[in-house]
Amino acid sequence: MSMQIPAHAAERLKGLRSSMHSTGVFTSDFSVNEFLLVRKAGFEPIGLCVGSCVYHVGIQYGSWNKNQELEVLSKAMYHARELATTRMRAEATAMGADGIVGVKLTIKRLEWDEHLLEFIAIGTGVVHGDGHRGFRAHDGGPFTSDLSGQDFWSLLHSGYRPVEMVMGSCVYHVAHRGLFAGIGTVGRNVELENFTSALYEAREIAIERMQFEASAAKAEGVVGVDIHEGSHGWQTHVIEFFAIGTAVLPLDQEITPEKIGEPIMVLSVND
Amino acid sequence: MGLFDIFKKPTPEALAARAAAEQRNAEMQAFLQGGALPSAMRARLEGARAGTMPWTATLTPAELLIARSHGLRPIATVSATCWLHYGWSWTLGHSEGWTMALRRLKEEAYAAGANAVLDVKMRTIRLGGAISMDFTLIGTAVRVEGLEPSGDPIVATVPALEFVKLLEADVVPTGIAIGAHYEWLDDWNNSARMAWYGNIESPQLSGLWERVRTRAHQDLRANARPQGNGVLAHVNFSQSFEREQNNRKQYLARHIVAATTVDARRGVPLPHDVRIVVDLHAGGTPLTRTRPHHESYRFNESEGAI
Repeated sequence: MSMQIPAHAAERLKGLRSSMHSTGVFTSDFSVNEFLLVRKAGFEPIGLCVGSCVYHVGIQYGSWNKNQELEVLSKAMYHARELATTRMRAEATAMGADGIVGVKLTIKRLEWDEHLLEFIAIGTGVVHGDGHRGFRAHDGGPFTSDLSGQDFWSLLHSGYRPVEMVMGSCVYHVAHRGLFAGIGTVGRNVELENFTSALYEAREIAIERMQFEASAAKAEGVVGVDIHEGSHGWQTHVIEFFAIGTAVLPLDQEITPEKIGEPIMVLSVND
Repeated sequence: MGLFDIFKKPTPEALAARAAAEQRNAEMQAFLQGGALPSAMRARLEGARAGTMPWTATLTPAELLIARSHGLRPIATVSATCWLHYGWSWTLGHSEGWTMALRRLKEEAYAAGANAVLDVKMRTIRLGGAISMDFTLIGTAVRVEGLEPSGDPIVATVPALEFVKLLEADVVPTGIAIGAHYEWLDDWNNSARMAWYGNIESPQLSGLWERVRTRAHQDLRANARPQGNGVLAHVNFSQSFEREQNNRKQYLARHIVAATTVDARRGVPLPHDVRIVVDLHAGGTPLTRTRPHHESYRFNESEGAI
């Protein structure tokens, strides 16, 4: 036979697993550089995956002078994010993605009700170009990660692959100081131990929970950990600590540290 | 939790959770007063150290890549906080607050069996209360392969990429040094304002600033000496106020400098070639754009000291 079917067409003719979305069009929120690097890493985007959840956050007040976790709020913030990411992941599964890159989590307050929060998770579903299934998460579903396309490429070249976007949340009530507590400390620099302890505790709990999630995902480590502090319309002394990162595992064919390329130093001489 | 759950008897699980939370609180208080690390914190750090729990790192994948190729292994995200109430001096409190946070960060790093803490960011959470401030440090404890865990881990307030760059040039970032000074100027004859003069320097205010800045920098030097032989990357923060008391003007000048201390061997140049590139992209690109690594003094960045 002299005629050769182009590889791309041959793949389509095999019909086993298309590297394209069923509509034949891929969608993504990648920038050009991200797109090129994700493809360089051997993946193809297939579609934008979105999950959202409008959540009514219950009411809980901390005792005025007590440091305590507000479990109702912690659970709400966690559960709602989980619902949003699970729905996003279900969309990715439905389009046959091996994973989701560049997940962005946002929280919006709905104007008409202070207790209603909208949680949105958006990321780009990708498939491995050669149909390699070794990149999926431990449960066989798509991996999730909040890494950008650039980060994704770097991670694979450092010998790791993303498994799951992991997070931990802790909403904490920081005790008020007693009305007369200031009198004893007039004119002295003193540590406010109850404030320190509250921030410490809340942050530790958030990191612990994130680490626990990574452990449940059978990961080796968590990369890109970021800790956010925020308040979503709560009283002044209520603060959320939110730890988020991407759980990773070594690649099936591990890259030893000696094999990692040496970066070149450059000096940009633009102005 | 429903609206009327408050009237129900707490379940055994709820009671157990409450007892555990109180236990955590008590351990944390003891730790802040100089006691041992709380058991939950110890479990997290030691689990990561032994590999029974996943490691956690604030490093980006690119930083993980460079860390691995240089024999650094991430262990755990470590953090420390000190919330300080300013009784007699806001300015001098900064040195006290960061020093305390630094000590606690090292304790966590020690428990994690680390040689160093990288990517340490100085943060401040504003939670109201004008006469108090929080000093928070967050970073990643790492082990250097082939080295025993350090009894006194170094604290590097630079990202992992820069840490490695410095190591290759035989420079070790070791910690944070703070210099702080303030002074009140009592203008008894109201001469500092010079409302009726033309173009002329105000020698009193110039002198005030000169003294305050010089002293803050002396303080920085003294604070840095036990930690290394130099400092890099100053953050300068200065403020001045005017107030009137008994019909006399008084001026406050305060100056705070925070810097990364380094231990550098003299005369060792960077071993790498540096390529000169022209970036064709217009506007900001990752090559030309930098983001401040610290957030604590960001609101006053435009004011430099010297």
